[in-house]
Amino acid sequence: MIVVLLLLHGLLAVALLGAITHQALSVLPRAAAKGQRTFLDRFRGVNAPAYATPVVVLFVVTAIGGALLYPQYRIDVRPALEDMQNAAANGVFEIKEHLIAIGLGILPAYWLVWQQPDNAQGAEAASARRALTWLLAFFVWWGFIVGHVLNNIRGMLP
Amino acid sequence: MKHPALKIFSMLFGVFYIAAFYFDLALFRYYPEARQFHWMRTDGIGVVILWYGWIVTAALASAAVAVAVPRPVAERLSPRWVWIVTTLVVIVTLLYERRYFV
Repeated sequence: MIVVLLLLHGLLAVALLGAITHQALSVLPRAAAKGQRTFLDRFRGVNAPAYATPVVVLFVVTAIGGALLYPQYRIDVRPALEDMQNAAANGVFEIKEHLIAIGLGILPAYWLVWQQPDNAQGAEAASARRALTWLLAFFVWWGFIVGHVLNNIRGMLP
Repeated sequence: MKHPALKIFSMLFGVFYIAAFYFDLALFRYYPEARQFHWMRTDGIGVVILWYGWIVTAALASAAVAVAVPRPVAERLSPRWVWIVTTLVVIVTLLYERRYFV
């Protein structure tokens, strides 16, 4: 059961990572198009507002999956890391849990700024949209990389 | 703007979360080996998870403030404050958690 949940958590995290990365790159200022569109141009050329609700749903569902897996980590993995004197691994995981919690907290404002039309509060709303999206992207990338490294850490260390 | 209280909630959530973490203000504790929730610290039943309790503490505290703040005040609040305060919270968190890497 725990393996199924872990796989599901990982798959949801991949979907979330893709969605938030598309959206985060789409809000970067772009230079006037010249010549052929590059891969990056096409990657960021998405309907960014349409990603907001799926990102919120995926973030919440993935976080719930992580919360359900957390007891197993606390009982089995963390003591093993402590036995290996690997404080850094526990540190990056503790940062992960903080960032995911803080991410859950900013989801309402993130969703709100993506629901506003472009002219609402003008530049302020645009900068908030950009910054909150990048903050969430940072949280998701951190969580994804740390989750994968810790899941495989026994195979990665000598 | 619809639902301006959401800005207040999001702006304060990280602050309350880090305060709950730092001052050990988890609303409840979960003991995974015993599969039990407790309001108070309970020794002798294995390791404890505080993370769930910190999140609920932060959610309730920030929701209470968001509901209490008058709507005109919430509407005037720039959405910039959400990411500015959250970024500061993240920086403080990362600085505090350096303890694992020194």
